[in-house]
Amino acid sequence: MASMSKADIGRFLARQGILIAFAVFIIGFTLANERFLSPDNVMGVVRSSAILGVMALGVTFVVISGNLDLSVGSMMSFSTIVVLDLHDKIGPALAIPAMFAMTLCLGAFIGFLVGYLKLNSLIVTLGMLSAIHGLTLTYSGGQNMDIVDKEGTWFAVFGQGSALGIPVPILIFILLAALLGIILAKTPFGRKVYAVGGNGTAATFSGIKRARVVFLCYVMSAFCVAVAGLIQASRSMGSQNTVGQGLELDVLAAVILGGASLLGGSGTIFKTVIGVLILGFIQNGLLLIGLQFYVQYVVTWVIIILAVWLDIAAKRGKLWSNIA
Amino acid sequence: MKLRTFLTATAATAALTAAGAAYADAHGPMRIGITQNNVGVDSYQTTYEKAFIAAAEANDKVEVVVLDAGGDVARQIAQMEDLIQQEVDAIIIWPTNGEAVIPAVRKAHSADIPVVVTNSNIAEAGFDFVATFSGPDNITQGSRSAEIMCDRFKALGIEDEARVVQISGQPGYTTAIERQKGFDDRLPEVCPNVTLVETQPGDWNREKSQQVMEAFLVKYDDIDGVYAGDDNMGVGALNAALAADRAEGITFVGATNFSVGYEAMERGEYWGSIYQSPVDDAEAALQSAIDLISGKELPFLNYFDTPKITQDNMTEFTKPVF
Repeated sequence: MASMSKADIGRFLARQGILIAFAVFIIGFTLANERFLSPDNVMGVVRSSAILGVMALGVTFVVISGNLDLSVGSMMSFSTIVVLDLHDKIGPALAIPAMFAMTLCLGAFIGFLVGYLKLNSLIVTLGMLSAIHGLTLTYSGGQNMDIVDKEGTWFAVFGQGSALGIPVPILIFILLAALLGIILAKTPFGRKVYAVGGNGTAATFSGIKRARVVFLCYVMSAFCVAVAGLIQASRSMGSQNTVGQGLELDVLAAVILGGASLLGGSGTIFKTVIGVLILGFIQNGLLLIGLQFYVQYVVTWVIIILAVWLDIAAKRGKLWSNIA
Repeated sequence: MKLRTFLTATAATAALTAAGAAYADAHGPMRIGITQNNVGVDSYQTTYEKAFIAAAEANDKVEVVVLDAGGDVARQIAQMEDLIQQEVDAIIIWPTNGEAVIPAVRKAHSADIPVVVTNSNIAEAGFDFVATFSGPDNITQGSRSAEIMCDRFKALGIEDEARVVQISGQPGYTTAIERQKGFDDRLPEVCPNVTLVETQPGDWNREKSQQVMEAFLVKYDDIDGVYAGDDNMGVGALNAALAADRAEGITFVGATNFSVGYEAMERGEYWGSIYQSPVDDAEAALQSAIDLISGKELPFLNYFDTPKITQDNMTEFTKPVF
């Protein structure tokens, strides 16, 4: 790296436009409130972002494979409610695998519809968004779920525990990001995901089983959702039926903000993580500034657009496009 | 209350009185339609729906059409139109939005179907089209929460320096606006030296409120009180304070006492709230509709009482089921 030429630096910057945007926001918020970068606050933001982040990791696979997943929000509500309910009925040691099994079934079902039946992923997952919400409400009878004995269970460790001074949700997020990052970047399966998303027909003719790749992406996404539901349930030890409502759009925003193309074929786990952190820090930064909340919605949008613009500008080397 | 509104309501009910007596013979059971805000979003609304259906089933003169808007204004307006088409005898609406549903309420009014607004009122521009409002008085609830908090500060001897943050309900939602107004107006009256440092919305969501409170704790070194628009959000704030080891010395006051809030009060972590029963709420709404159809006169604002509950008097109340 020491002997990097000017052109190399330029290329590096071009690839990391989103990192530059991230740095700009961090500096801006820190100037506005010096506590923004205090360890407590940073830790708090990353911990709250971990749930969104874990979900975004799975959705990154789906998006790179050229599909969408709008069902992750309701699916997260489902897994949270199920694990809380089963916790008091059959104990945490059985409740967790049972919840994972049920959530993976939902993912497999979506994967089957999109992968093997080749149905449009937008329609399938949009439908599943409300179908799973209905399933959750039917399951719970609409009631809030609460763990009755909050002291006498080890279940709290996933959301509230910490190891080596780092909150467990952050550790889970980091470990999962590393694992999925390696799967995506270094394994044959990862390359197949890019191939299917980049050019599905070409991938099929190269002998890639496209349906199976898409199917596995949705199963992976469901796995991440189950992990997120586990963290969420453990963090609050009780939940409303709508806990994940609307999260699917934040997740998608984080993935796209990280630079994954909605058309498929590009994106990385690392950039998704940056996208998640940008969203988390924007939300927290605006709260710390104390902006009136009606304005916050607008400002959030402006910042996202700025980030995407900076990213694109860095890639093409100028702020404006010549071909309009 | 506006005199004109009162007269309109009286005239409407008087006209119905004549028809009321012969009603049951000519038409069979009274048909009452309800479009609810968002069943399942919290246990209050779920319990409300169950209590409403139970009350209707217990009364064989009544037949109900129960609908749920899922929090969606457009769907609620469509449901209002469906109920008007079905020519029900009265419509109960739990507004998803105090402003946006006014045209639909007006349409029902033009079709001579009396409308009962339940739980949270619509905006004043629509009052002329509403026969009666049945529900809690959210402004009074906000005021009472302010009084609970102020009394507690006086007991602790910090009424001259205490600093309070507020976590409000969903922006644009009438209940949220009214509770906030009640609290904002009453606090300086009873405790003029207490500072309300900041208000941010928790969207009726425990997890969101936890995040908001985390940010407050980073931002302010000194917080003595937290007012949350309901206990669900209050408990989210409490969780954040507990995790940061700062819950000691913070007075948490909410509204709509949920079981999680009640339990936190039992543990001594949460100071007080406003006791509001969804069963009373649902039964009051159904009774209002029945009364209107039978031609009884009702006041325009038909409140049921929602008393203060704190750690001191909580044994007088049964634990909420939601």
